Amino acid sequence: MEKAQTWKEKLAHRMPVELAEEIDVFETQIELRKQGKIDERVFAETRLRRGVYGQRYDNGQRHDGFKTQKLKLPSGNLTKGPETVWDAPGMMRIKIPFGGLVPEQMEALADLSEEYSDGVSHVTTRQDIQFHYVHIDDTPTVMRRLAAVGITTREACGNVVRNVTACPIAGVCNTEVFDVTPYAMACSRFLLGHPDTQDFGRKFKIAFSGCKGEACGLTSMHDMGAIARIRVVDGKEQRGFEFYVGGGLGAVPHQAKLFDEFLPEEELLPVAQAMARVFARLGEKRNRARARVKFLVAKLGIEEFRKIVLEERAKLAPDPRWTAFLATVREPWEKPLRQGSAQNGAGKPDGFDAWVATNVYRQKQPGYVTASVTLPLGDITADQFRGLAAISRRFVNGTVRTTVEQNLLFRWVSEGDLPELYAALGAIGLGQPDAGTIVDVTACPGTDTCKLGIASSRGLARELRTRLSEKSLELDQAVKDLRIKVSGCFNSCGQHHVADIGFYGISRNVGSYTVPHFQVVLGGKWKENGGSYGLAIGAVPSKRIPDVVTRVTERFVQEREKGESFQAFVSRIGKKEVKGMLDELIRVPPHDQDRTLYSDWGDPREFTLSDMGIGECAGEVVSQAQFTLAGSERELFESQVLLDGRDFSKAARMAYLSMLHAAQGLIKTQNADIPDDEEKILDEFRRRFYDTKVFHDKYAGSKFADFLFHAGDSLKGNGGNGGMTEDLAHQRIEEAQLFIDAAHSCYQRLMGGRAAP
Amino acid sequence: MELQKINFKIFAAEPDGVALTEFIPIFHSWIQATDGDYHDVADYGHMRGGPGILLLAHEANIALDETGNRRGLLYNHKQPLAGSNGEKLRRVLQAALETCRKIEDEPSLKGRFGFSGSEALFLVNDRLLAPNTEETFNELRPDLESLAGKLYPGSPFTLHREPDSGRRFSVHIKAEGAFDVATLLRNLGAAGSF
Repeated sequence: MEKAQTWKEKLAHRMPVELAEEIDVFETQIELRKQGKIDERVFAETRLRRGVYGQRYDNGQRHDGFKTQKLKLPSGNLTKGPETVWDAPGMMRIKIPFGGLVPEQMEALADLSEEYSDGVSHVTTRQDIQFHYVHIDDTPTVMRRLAAVGITTREACGNVVRNVTACPIAGVCNTEVFDVTPYAMACSRFLLGHPDTQDFGRKFKIAFSGCKGEACGLTSMHDMGAIARIRVVDGKEQRGFEFYVGGGLGAVPHQAKLFDEFLPEEELLPVAQAMARVFARLGEKRNRARARVKFLVAKLGIEEFRKIVLEERAKLAPDPRWTAFLATVREPWEKPLRQGSAQNGAGKPDGFDAWVATNVYRQKQPGYVTASVTLPLGDITADQFRGLAAISRRFVNGTVRTTVEQNLLFRWVSEGDLPELYAALGAIGLGQPDAGTIVDVTACPGTDTCKLGIASSRGLARELRTRLSEKSLELDQAVKDLRIKVSGCFNSCGQHHVADIGFYGISRNVGSYTVPHFQVVLGGKWKENGGSYGLAIGAVPSKRIPDVVTRVTERFVQEREKGESFQAFVSRIGKKEVKGMLDELIRVPPHDQDRTLYSDWGDPREFTLSDMGIGECAGEVVSQAQFTLAGSERELFESQVLLDGRDFSKAARMAYLSMLHAAQGLIKTQNADIPDDEEKILDEFRRRFYDTKVFHDKYAGSKFADFLFHAGDSLKGNGGNGGMTEDLAHQRIEEAQLFIDAAHSCYQRLMGGRAAP
Repeated sequence: MELQKINFKIFAAEPDGVALTEFIPIFHSWIQATDGDYHDVADYGHMRGGPGILLLAHEANIALDETGNRRGLLYNHKQPLAGSNGEKLRRVLQAALETCRKIEDEPSLKGRFGFSGSEALFLVNDRLLAPNTEETFNELRPDLESLAGKLYPGSPFTLHREPDSGRRFSVHIKAEGAFDVATLLRNLGAAGSF
């Protein structure tokens, strides 16, 4: 039998030369690391920039519910980064610019998921595809097979420009100004591997939207966001962008600031390049927690940031790539496969009408529609992906896109083909309705595979999806139109801030046990490109979150005023009232009475945060500390009520006090007599927890402690009260929430430490 | 061809009697009963025709798999094996069958869930090594026939290759008559080394 020896040989003539060389270099780096000739930290960043990421338990340890097991991995002491064992499975992130996929790519992804992952491709909340459980030795082969179909994993992770996202219905949208797809593609190509994008302190995310009012590309939460605009000058139409900078979710979300009301199209790439240079030069490098563009914009102020970027722009040497792509941006990006047609009303399969109601969008082009393929939790099997490739060849011209809601879109479907398309999707198990509804819950990987996950976001999402699907047809339309998004921790990969009802995973101590919880986040806005962010109103045990959804949505249906949005409803009845609805759900019965709440969704292990085991010390001093921590949460909630009442200064002051008292709670574990004195608390907290790094988060470092000191300095700096804006007060409350969560984590670590022999 | 990445799937006898989620605590209990052999449990029960519930490990993944909308135990051997192709096939099949027996012996499933031994799916999880062609089939047929002959002594059997060239190379082995897992293990053991 004649066959190629390796994929490298077999695909030699199908890979772009540059990509092939880069992959060869990476393969060499793998070998050098195995020989100990590359430092593990350098190698870690190297592989991240190739999309090769860590995964839960890759430190070679796993708690089985009773004890920590050392995983049997033959690589011994060889690591692929700090505390990251070579043979431990990892994650691979695959960039899909603007979410665009063609059939050959879908087939390649399907094949690779089977051969190197677990048979599943996962669509992320930034239009990427992720594989889990991949061995690092296999990654060069995966990269080569992807390169052969025009996909790169380069700069999918690491401190670089990440996947450039765009509205998935760009080009077919009824309300768009123009199709942003070619601009997103040009931006992605131009910045990929560009020398000016290689020296960032943190990642840099870009999104494009065709219109301002819809959710589109969620530009408000990106480092750089561009919304299509047209202006008329001397009777001639000019294309450009309403250009935003410094947005981001993460632990402390920032709404992007307006950089330019109209950035002409020919200035898009040079200004992006100038912004990259400024970010590389002035952005924070040492403190990762404050290294995103949003912090640089906040530090400099938008006026100064704009001035510096434009000065940088003026100094740039001209690059023909800035405008070369403009020659074709007005040409259609895609062509339909079939003639547009209307449905004739005949031959509707069972369930068709319900599917059409939620999954079909009528395009601006007559006779064509866009159909959503609902992917539960963003997952698709290899057989399904291959099946979709075949279906896309049959009905559309390879025009498929991933969405930030973790689904796939078939664009340019002739409307008359819908019954056949629905039947074809149903045959491969992908004919579910409810795309973009409350049933279609979005979730990041959470504790399933993410190293940073605290609670099971996917487990919760699966449970909510199951329960809501069962009553989907009975749901009031106002409820059905809501969105639920779940993150496994405060880092917001599930985009919970822009959901009507959002959740993020945390933990709470009950007695000497740790209980998985989710913070309930209400009031976020999905429309207007993620127009506003919700705030946490309280932590509820993970297993009771479905009850939260039921209570909140039922109350909304019962008391909603005509045409009232969920955000307006929450605002009208007030967070205090909403929190009151949840109070009884917050109480956790003792472990010896009912253990139900002490494990997480889909995981029968007793919940634990670490390999340190369950703390056994619950003495008096601990009780005082916990009491004080609980008090700080109450104060935080009061600060939210003050914010709702638009008393921004008092809200910020109360948020600061909540942090101060959380700090005091921790100090009580070491000094029960700490007085209720601000200066003394700050001094002791700094000495006992900050300077010693005891309070530091494993990944975020001093970030959360800095919130306390910064808030204190800020209040002193303006005389205690004045000058507080709504945005600042909102931010202070977010910071306080994170500080208190960190205080709980620190407390758990302290107790675990004491319990250890 | 030096065979590697060998998979076997043994199909469930009564596929709908037990919810997939029941396998989650079972796999966790297997992790607890060993010391570092297994890495994690993954729940893909929300997907139709998917990997179902997976028990992940370095050497081999085990899944209550639903690919092709047929539930079965998929044993996916990942690490390189030494020996002849026949020896490798027997070793992986034996590991798969022993895992099936372990599941059948689970107290929570006793009498409610079992496997049918009269058919099995052999699969090579490597498209480069084993492209899904008639040529690959011809090359591996003698080893597969030898294996099936020992598995089902005296009973006629058939081998059918997956015809879709886009899918991995796989062969459906089917015997006439009823066989349970214990019988197959005995037959395999009695066959000795190849």
